[in-house]
Amino acid sequence: MTNQNISLVKVRNTLLVTMPADPDDVTVTTLQEEVLGAMEEYRPKGLVLDISAVETLDSFFARTITETSRMVTMMGGQTVIAGMRPSVAITATQLGLTMVGTFTALTVDRALDLLTHLHPRRRIR
Amino acid sequence: MSDLARGNIPIKSENDIVAARRVVRDLATQLCFGVTDVTRVITAASELARNVFLYVGAGVMWWSILDRSGEVGLELTFEDHGAGIPDVEQAMTPGYSTSRGLGLGLPGVKRLMDEMEIHTEVGKGTTVRVRKWLRK
Repeated sequence: MTNQNISLVKVRNTLLVTMPADPDDVTVTTLQEEVLGAMEEYRPKGLVLDISAVETLDSFFARTITETSRMVTMMGGQTVIAGMRPSVAITATQLGLTMVGTFTALTVDRALDLLTHLHPRRRIR
Repeated sequence: MSDLARGNIPIKSENDIVAARRVVRDLATQLCFGVTDVTRVITAASELARNVFLYVGAGVMWWSILDRSGEVGLELTFEDHGAGIPDVEQAMTPGYSTSRGLGLGLPGVKRLMDEMEIHTEVGKGTTVRVRKWLRK
């Protein structure tokens, strides 16, 4: 088995989650639990899910991502999926995956911009 | 049509879905498929392997490298001895799924591949065969 580790890092107000290239079902399921646990623990405003390393996005993985995003919304956070590869986007669309209700960004950098835009920082005088 | 190479991998656990994906990745890469076609074939294999695991619990993925008068392709056959598909036409309807809503089912897989054939017999099992040809 190759490296199946999910990396979770809190950067400022954001939880940055990085997926491995070819996660098995257990890793994908773990993602959901770990992310929701980290939401409670670190209380970030948003979650960036970096899938730039992911080479295959099947229906199970896509469904878990979409569900996790909805759960994070329920907890009061915002999810942005970042870095989907062109080949993955083509395949996912032809397969019929929709990922309704998720924000997406080309890069992690853009995802952070999007989250800032979604949660404008309040000025405190 | 002759087989240049062939093999199989059992599918009886979730880990075997990952194993099937890796075998298919290696084969498609060795055949010099483009990166998008590699992704298409791996994703199709992942969906079909998952179907076998979810609906039946056990089965086999057979693979073979085809040579049809100079045209090279990859053929994957997913075979199980489960309940079979009572209504193949319904199973081929976009959005149709019976198990936990997972898998977009066979129409999505068909779009990813060049050819697809389904042989199913109620009470005996199902064989889904897909092919992708190398574009010149």
